[in-house]
Amino acid sequence: MTTLSTVLGPLELSCPVLAASGTFGFGEEYSSMLDLSELGGVVVKGLTLEPRWGNPPPRVVETPAGMLNAIGLQNPGLEGFLEREMPRLRHCGTAVIVNINGETEEEFAVLARELSSVEGLAALELNVSCPNVPLGGITFGSSTPILQKLLKKVRPLCRLPLLVKLSPNVTDIAGLARVCRDEGADAVSLINTLKGMVIDTAAKTPLLGNKTGGLSGPAIRPVAVRMVYEVFQEVNIPIIGMGGIMSTEDALQFFMAGARAVAVGTANFVEPRIMPQIISGLRAYLEEEDLEDIGSVIGAAHRET
Amino acid sequence: MQAEAIVRKLEKVAEDIIYLKLEEKSIAQLALPGQFLHIRIGRGVAPLLRRPFSIAGASPEEKAFSILFRVSGEGTRLMSGLRPGDRMDCLGPLGRGFHTAPLKGAALMVAGGIGIAPLLFLAQHLLGAGHKLVFFYGAPSAGEMVCLERFLFNGAETWLATEDGSAGRRGTVVDLLEGFFLEGRISGSVFACGPRPMLKALQEKNEQWKMPLKFSLEERMACGVGACQGCVVASSPDFMGWGARQYHRVCLEGPVFDAGEVLL
Repeated sequence: MTTLSTVLGPLELSCPVLAASGTFGFGEEYSSMLDLSELGGVVVKGLTLEPRWGNPPPRVVETPAGMLNAIGLQNPGLEGFLEREMPRLRHCGTAVIVNINGETEEEFAVLARELSSVEGLAALELNVSCPNVPLGGITFGSSTPILQKLLKKVRPLCRLPLLVKLSPNVTDIAGLARVCRDEGADAVSLINTLKGMVIDTAAKTPLLGNKTGGLSGPAIRPVAVRMVYEVFQEVNIPIIGMGGIMSTEDALQFFMAGARAVAVGTANFVEPRIMPQIISGLRAYLEEEDLEDIGSVIGAAHRET
Repeated sequence: MQAEAIVRKLEKVAEDIIYLKLEEKSIAQLALPGQFLHIRIGRGVAPLLRRPFSIAGASPEEKAFSILFRVSGEGTRLMSGLRPGDRMDCLGPLGRGFHTAPLKGAALMVAGGIGIAPLLFLAQHLLGAGHKLVFFYGAPSAGEMVCLERFLFNGAETWLATEDGSAGRRGTVVDLLEGFFLEGRISGSVFACGPRPMLKALQEKNEQWKMPLKFSLEERMACGVGACQGCVVASSPDFMGWGARQYHRVCLEGPVFDAGEVLL
């Protein structure tokens, strides 16, 4: 009997495929099209302490084999989330991970502290990599001293498994992952979107309301796989890999690069049932290869042949 | 819901505008005027995202429905090469359509260009229910107009406007409609779809006309089901209800809005 269960420090998942933050709302929109309990977990839409209205439209635009988004963290805030979303999420049958965002260290700290006592959450994902907000976001994830200071404040307050979502818009991602490990984070999520721009040549202006946006989709997959490979090689910390996964084959690349779990984002928009499809594909792969668990694939690309 | 529809017919009905008839039983049964389909083009990664199309008509008896599209980019160029028998992966019907009952007076349909699509479907419903209907249809030129008689067998009173004067009155469709209102020739509920500047003009003029006005909006879309918050439109300052949301999702709260709900 093969198993897809995976362990990221204190976080145990029955299946290594998660829905990536921002692409799956609070799980409700897709619940009529797939059974959430089939998934390893859902990382819900980025949450801030206070409600956020997000950026002016247009917020999305397609690009070659990808898309740019600049939603700007539109969300109902902590109170709205706990009142309106959490009662349903608690019974959705899968691990619920909350992606948290702050403009200040204090906001992150309050969110971590408050959410730690909420029943029914599996983990928190510290978002230090949003490219679409003027304050906070990527600022916290671009320099090792700033990230270190944030983690020193947040980690002791967070009683749930703590993941840190890192940005590819940096020169040394392994250095940032090392800070996460040293400060007690349980895993890193690699990668958030790459900052990009599309210009509307007729209007002679950037197309997105926010001017810039985050690039996702298959276009960024090789960058993401390389970063997972690099962090796996240099830092001993569990990795959740993501970036343009659209098939079982794509997911396997991330596992072989060293990810212990993967997240699917943009592909959900294209094919709402893509995650269950990838999960059955992984099961079939393990059976074909006569492997007992997904663990035997993790990091396979690093082994000497 | 997600379903594979089969291409039945592809026909050029105006300059760069193609009528596509598809067969899929459930969609044909469920579709309501104003709703849209989120269609995947091909199976590859370019084009990547689905494209939203207003439903232009549906017939449960024929198990068929139709869309209109303008060939304007890579996705629609590929679609123009579809052949009968080809399959299309459709998500839908999605979104909130036109809620029409109860109607006071005539239904005044105001369409700009390809925006005629959802109004053809609405007209099909309203004519079937015996409503009086008047069409106001504008486009840059006559060549870019879809022939209404082709879609509406019962016929409907139709007034045209073109920017170059090649059909109907020269000018915009909003100016045309305004003429009717100023002369007191007409009143009723207004249903509109077209380019954003047209809808904005209509919304502004309606401050004086004070007619019930609903319009269908178009916005760049990713998921189509409300998850990504990509396709938003600002809510009007008077409409800060639940959660004081400042944006509505066009895919979920729309694509049809009351004129008072949104700030264009």
